[in-house]
Amino acid sequence: MKSNSAQNIKLGVLIISGLIIFTLGVFFIGNKQNLFGDSILVSSVFKNVNGLQSGNNVRYSGVNVGTVKEIKFLNDTAICVDMLINREAGNLIKNNALATINSDGLVGSMVLNILPSSQAPSPTIKEGDTLASISQVATADMLNTLNKTNENAALLTQDLLKITNSINSGEGVLGDLLKDKTLAKNVQESVENLNETTKSARLGLAKLNGILNNVDYENSVAGLLLSDTSAQKSFSTIIKDLEKTSSQIKGISVDLGEFSNNLNSEKGALNYVLKDSSFVNHLDQSMENIEEATHRFNENMEALKHNILFRGYFRKLERQKARAEKEN
Amino acid sequence: MKILSSYQSGLSSFFLEIGEMGKFTGRYFRELFSRPFEFREFLKQCYQMGNKSLLLVSVTGFILGLVFTLQSRPTLMEFGAVSWMPSMISISIVREIGPVIIALICAGRIGSSIGAELGSMRVTEQIDAMEVSGTNPFKFLVVTRILSATCMLPILVIVGDFVALIGSAIIENIKGDVSFTLYFNQVFAALEFTDLLPATVKTFFFGFAIGLVGCFKGYNSKKGTAGVGKASNSAVVFTSMLLFVLDFIAVFITDIFYN
Repeated sequence: MKSNSAQNIKLGVLIISGLIIFTLGVFFIGNKQNLFGDSILVSSVFKNVNGLQSGNNVRYSGVNVGTVKEIKFLNDTAICVDMLINREAGNLIKNNALATINSDGLVGSMVLNILPSSQAPSPTIKEGDTLASISQVATADMLNTLNKTNENAALLTQDLLKITNSINSGEGVLGDLLKDKTLAKNVQESVENLNETTKSARLGLAKLNGILNNVDYENSVAGLLLSDTSAQKSFSTIIKDLEKTSSQIKGISVDLGEFSNNLNSEKGALNYVLKDSSFVNHLDQSMENIEEATHRFNENMEALKHNILFRGYFRKLERQKARAEKEN
Repeated sequence: MKILSSYQSGLSSFFLEIGEMGKFTGRYFRELFSRPFEFREFLKQCYQMGNKSLLLVSVTGFILGLVFTLQSRPTLMEFGAVSWMPSMISISIVREIGPVIIALICAGRIGSSIGAELGSMRVTEQIDAMEVSGTNPFKFLVVTRILSATCMLPILVIVGDFVALIGSAIIENIKGDVSFTLYFNQVFAALEFTDLLPATVKTFFFGFAIGLVGCFKGYNSKKGTAGVGKASNSAVVFTSMLLFVLDFIAVFITDIFYN
C-alpha cells in the first residue's frame, strides 16, 4: 500500500512536470504572439504584402511589439493587414506612424515594421486605427535589379573578352605593347630613363632642399628677398627696370642688326671698303705713294734746313726750344 | 508458383492480423467505457511506463539535442546562419524528431515489455485462469496498458523535447556563447501553436499504437515460450513501422489544416 502511494506520488510529479512544461511552452509561445497580454488591434492597407503571413512579427523601431493577426483583401488592389500590438508599446506609437513590410534579413521571414513619423506631434494609436503604409523595395525587386546588373555584367565581359582577344592577337597600341619586343624594349628603356630622371630629380630636390635649409633668412640676401617685404618691393622695381633695359637693349640690337644688314649690303661705303678688293689695292698703292712722298718731303725739308736762306730760322727755333727746356 | 503461394498466404495472414487487430481495437473501446474501471492498475501501469522510462527518454533526448546541434552547427556556419540554430533545432525537435525518436524508444521499451508480459501470461494460461475466476482479463490487462501508454507517451515526449532543447542550449552556450535566455527567447519566437499542438496530439496516437500493438501481440501469442519472444519482437517491429505510418498521416493532416 505504502509502495503504491510512493509510486503514485512519483507518477503525479512526472505528470505535473510534463503538464507544467507544456503549459509554459504554450504560454511563452502565446505570449510571443500577444495572445494573452492586453493588446490593441490596428490595421494598415497595402498594395502588396510580399508574402507576409498571419503570426509574423510587428516591429516598432526594431523592437517586437506585436504580431500580424489577419490579412484580408479589401478589393483587387488593396490588402488590409490587421495587427495586434501590445498596449504598452501602443501607448508610444503615434497614429501618423508609417507601416512597411520588409524581409527579416535576406533569408528571413517577412516582418511588418512601424516607422515613427517625423511630422508634427500626433496622438497615440487606439483600437481600430489605420496606419498609413509605404511600400519599400522587396526582395523580388532587388533580385530583378540584380538580374539587370548581371545582364550588363555579361555584356561587359563579352566586350572585355573581345578586347583581350584583340590584345592577344597584337592589334592596337596595347597589342603592340604586349607583342612588339622592340616597343617593349623602348618602353623599358624609357622607364629606366624615367627612373634615372626621377632619381636625379630627387637628388636635385634634396640638394635644393639642403640649400633652402641653409639659407639664413635673417641675414643673407636671399633671406632678405624671401622675408623682407621692402626688399621684395625693391627687387621688384629692379626687375621692372631690368625688363625696361632689356627692351631697350632689344631695340639697340635691332638697330645693330639693321646696321649690320646695311653693312653687308652693296649700298654702303663701308661695304665698298670691306668687300671691294681692287679698291683696297688702290688704297694700299695710294698709301705707299703717300709714304714715299712724305719721305721725299722730309728729305726736301732737311735740304731746306741746310739752305742758306732758311738756316737762320731753324737755328732760332732750336735756341727757343733749348731755352724752354732750361726754364722747366 | 510456390513463391507466389507463399506471398499469397503471407498477405492473407497480414490482412487477417489487421482484421483481428481491428476487432481488438473495437473491443478495447467497448471495454474502456464500461464499468468497472481498473484505476489502480491504470496508475500502476502509468508508473511503469512513465516513471520507469523517464531516465531512458531524458538521456536519449539530451544526447539528441547535443548531437543534433553539434552536427548542424558546421553547416549553418558555412552559410553564416548560425544565429538560426535555436529556431531550426526547436522546430525540428518539437515538430518531428522529438516525438518520433521518443516514440521509437518507448516502442522498444514499453511495447516489448507489454508483449512479453502478456505473452508469458497467455502461454502460462494466467489469462485463462483470470477468465475462469470471473475477472475480465481484457479490461484488467489490455485496457489499462493501452490507456496508460496513450496517456504517458505525450508526457514523456514533452519532457524529452524539453531535455533535448536544454542539451542543444548547452552546446550553443559552450560553442557559440549564446546565453540560455537568448536561446529560449529565440526558441519561443520561432515556435508557433501549429508546431506544438499537432505534435502533441500525434503523440497520443503514438502511445495508443504502442500499447495496442504490444497488447495485441502479447494477448494473442501462441506456441509456448518461443511465442513470447516472437510476440515481444513483432510488437516492437510492427509498432515502429506503424509509428512512421501514423507520423506520415499526422504530418499530412497538419499540412492540410495549417497550410
